[in-house]
Amino acid sequence: MGHLLINYYETGAIILFGVGFVTLLAHGNLIKKIIGMNIMDTAVFLFFIAKGYIAGNEAPIIRSAKAANGYVNPVPTALMLTGIVVAVSITAFALALTIRVYEKYGTIDLNEIIKMGGE
Amino acid sequence: MNKIHKEAEKSDILTEVGKLIIPFIQVFAIYVILNGHLSPGGGFAGGTILGASMILHRLIFGWDHLISRLTYDRVMKWMCASLLIYGALKGYSFLTGGMHLQVWDVPLGSPGNLFSGGFILPLNIAVGIIVSITVYVFFKLFYEGTI
Amino acid sequence: MRKMLSVALTFALIVILLFGVADLPAFGNAENPSNNEVSYRYLEKGVEETGAVNVVAGIILDYRAFDTFGEATVLFTALITVIAVLRRDEDE
Repeated sequence: MGHLLINYYETGAIILFGVGFVTLLAHGNLIKKIIGMNIMDTAVFLFFIAKGYIAGNEAPIIRSAKAANGYVNPVPTALMLTGIVVAVSITAFALALTIRVYEKYGTIDLNEIIKMGGE
Repeated sequence: MNKIHKEAEKSDILTEVGKLIIPFIQVFAIYVILNGHLSPGGGFAGGTILGASMILHRLIFGWDHLISRLTYDRVMKWMCASLLIYGALKGYSFLTGGMHLQVWDVPLGSPGNLFSGGFILPLNIAVGIIVSITVYVFFKLFYEGTI
Repeated sequence: MRKMLSVALTFALIVILLFGVADLPAFGNAENPSNNEVSYRYLEKGVEETGAVNVVAGIILDYRAFDTFGEATVLFTALITVIAVLRRDEDE
C-alpha cells in the first residue's frame, strides 16, 4: 500500500482509466460514451509519459554542456505524440457517426435505438 | 446549401476585439512552429494554435461565400501539397532500405541558429500546416452540417 | 441494476491492475529498466547528428521521420473519412 503512494502518477492513471471505463459502460447517451473513451485515452498517455521521469534532472533541451545523465528520458514523449493524434482522429470520427445515427433514428439513447429494431 | 442553424448577428465588440487579437495569435503560432528545434513546441503545438486562430476568425466574422479566403477547395489544395512535400523529403526510406538520397548534401549548420538541423525546419512547417487545416475543417464540418 | 453491475466489474478490473502497479520500480529512479542505452544514445549523439537542440524534435523528425509521416497520413485519412460520412447529396 505504501508502494502505491510512492508511484502516485501511475496509480492516478489507473484510477482515471477506471473512471473512464465506468462512464463508457453506465450511461446510455452516445455522447457520454465518447467522452468516456477520450478519458481512457488520456489516462494511458499519462501512465506512459510518467515512466520517463528521472528525479532531479531537467527537460531534454541541450543548451549547456551537461552529461547525458542530467536529462529526462526523451523516448516516451516522442512515442506518445502519435498516440495523441490517433485519439483526436477517433473522437472526430465517432462524433460524425453519431450525427448520422441521430438523423436516422431521431434519438441518441442506445437502449431506445436497440428497441426500435436497430436496422 | 442547408446550414443547421442560422448565423449570429454582427456584433461590434467582437469585431473590434477580433481585429486586434487574431494577428497576435497567428504571429505566436508561427514563432512556435519556426523555433521547433530550439525550444519546446514544434509542428504539432504550433499547428494547433494556428488552427484555433482560424476557428476564431470563422466564428467572429461569419461566412460569406464571396469574400471568404478559407474556402474548401483552396484549403484542401494546401493540405495535399504539404503532405506530398513531406513525402518527397523523408518518405522514400521505405523503398531504399534506409539509405539517403545522394542528390544533395544537407547542411547541418551550428546548433543554436535558426537555419540549422537540415530538414527539420521544412518538416516542421509542413506538419504545422497539416494539423491546422485538419482542426479547422473538423470545426467547419460540424458547424455547418455539410460541405 | 445495470449501473451497479458495471461499477462492480470496473472495481474488480482496477483492483487487479493495481496489484500490477504495486510491483513497478520506484518513480523517478535513475536505474529503472526503461532508462537504458537507447535514451543515452539519443541524448549523447543527438545534437551532432541531427543539429537540433530540442532532442524530442530531433527524434520525431530525423531518427524516426517515417513514423511522423505515417501519423500525418492518419490525420489526412481521418479528415477524408469525416467528409465522406457527413457529405449530403442535394435532395430536391
